[in-house]
Amino acid sequence: MRSALRNPYVYALFVIPTIGLYFLFTIYPMLSSAYYAFTDWDGLNDPKYIGFHNFTTALQDPYFQNSIVNNMYFILFSVFVQVPLIIMFAILIGSVKRLQGFYKTTVFVPSILSTAVIGILWQFIYNPEVGIVNKFLGLFGIDTIYWLADMRYALWAILITNAWQWMGFYIVLVLAAILAIPRELNEAAEIDGAGGFQRAIRITVPLIKPIISVIVMLSIAGAMRVVDIVLVMTKGGPVSSTEVMASYMVNRAIRYGEYGYGTSLAMLIFVIALVLTALYQLTFGRTKEEVTY
Amino acid sequence: MLLVKARKTLPHIVLMIYVAAVLVPFVFVVFSSLKDNNIDIAENPFGFPTELVFQNYIDAWVSAKISTYFFNSAYLSLTSGIAGVILSAATAFALTRMKLLRTSKVIYQAVLIGMLIPSNVLFIAQYILVSDLGLLNTHWSLFLPYTAGALPISVLLIAAFMKAIPAELEEAAIVDGLGSIGLFFRIIMPVTVPALVTVFIVNFLGVWNEYLLSNFFISKDALRTLPTGMVGFRDAYQTNYAYICTGIVFSVLPVLILYAFLQDKIIEGITAGSVKG
Repeated sequence: MRSALRNPYVYALFVIPTIGLYFLFTIYPMLSSAYYAFTDWDGLNDPKYIGFHNFTTALQDPYFQNSIVNNMYFILFSVFVQVPLIIMFAILIGSVKRLQGFYKTTVFVPSILSTAVIGILWQFIYNPEVGIVNKFLGLFGIDTIYWLADMRYALWAILITNAWQWMGFYIVLVLAAILAIPRELNEAAEIDGAGGFQRAIRITVPLIKPIISVIVMLSIAGAMRVVDIVLVMTKGGPVSSTEVMASYMVNRAIRYGEYGYGTSLAMLIFVIALVLTALYQLTFGRTKEEVTY
Repeated sequence: MLLVKARKTLPHIVLMIYVAAVLVPFVFVVFSSLKDNNIDIAENPFGFPTELVFQNYIDAWVSAKISTYFFNSAYLSLTSGIAGVILSAATAFALTRMKLLRTSKVIYQAVLIGMLIPSNVLFIAQYILVSDLGLLNTHWSLFLPYTAGALPISVLLIAAFMKAIPAELEEAAIVDGLGSIGLFFRIIMPVTVPALVTVFIVNFLGVWNEYLLSNFFISKDALRTLPTGMVGFRDAYQTNYAYICTGIVFSVLPVLILYAFLQDKIIEGITAGSVKG
């Protein structure tokens, strides 16, 4: 009677389109990247094997090094500025009864929008002539700042935009974990005389450690992937001050046709991301509990 | 008494500041989009527009081709979303409900590996691939990678849902003489609808918002999607801020409307997708 569920033709019919697409657009590009990364392919002449030449060039390439540093700024900013704020806001939202749903839905909004459009929106906000940031700072007598055209500020401007887009998403993740904590724990602590701040630090934070670990991991992965916002807001400028690894890779490959070199950069991005996540897992991210939401 | 009250309102004050930081940019953009010229925007950014200039919206929609970008995005998001749901539901059904267990295990593992690969890393190789296939500057060059890229997580999410369906349900159907295809379409698919809707929404939004591929795989203006079209629009109307704001409203509004109706589904889908990934 179960033979219907053993029909290999139906099985093939159900599985092959997915597997086919998946192999063609995920596995094959991965393998071909690994191949092109060891060649000098420029899109015109036949690719020639050149060993690790691309990789040694990349590691000595001052522009690529600079872009690695900028990615690190993204990581540091999200781990040390965003994550504490995220936890704080999530605890605050978890602590209120009224308007809780409103806060949750509102803070989540930016993370469902297109990064490209958010880039344009914030360009407008930073606009030196009409933008509200300079208008606001002007109230305190601060001169017009050319946020996206000034080397000193451009990366900060993008970091803030990026934080504005993604914080709400993480807040909702953490909030779900906070709301899953049994109410009795907090009530017991309250009876024992623990204040709101103490309860947050002593009870809530330790209990949501697994999800904190997850959002740190996601932040690192997200910071390694940053590209749209840079391409849209500054194209990596001024003077490479906002160039990140992925935007540099795209520029070299598409604008200059250096596919061989570009794919070696892609491989390096992949490896750096893997190493960073592995390092984090082995050091700070160690949690025994499995997280399932 | 006063202290208790202060303790209760303090979180709300802090949260309201944050909510304001989220919403103010949108208000600024909507107001600006209704203003006649840059001077109005610069002099009084938060002043309600003195006379509502809806003409901006008509101009942007008709003459600046926002309508073209909009329909391209809508059509790609819908088709890719639907294709992704059907393909991954069929695969998830085969993997979880059909009895070719060993093959299923191998396929499942292979799909899991795909989730480790960040999409940026594949960008150049995909560019070469679609250009070798002769697909550059067609919607296929976006439809195929978008759909393929969404498959691993979609299969995982739907498979997790299907695993929980009790076996009695399908046994009864098989006794009634249903084959596995009938079983899939008539019994399992209807039961799985909540998961399918979630996956569809997540994929729809992913395509609606995608920028990198659509920027580099498409150079014909008539084929552009909203995010890339918007960037081109910005470059073309650099200092016409009201116009640019109108474009922003056009690209953000549909998502916000969708969100207003399906916020729980969207939040659930997007967070589940990331955490399991």
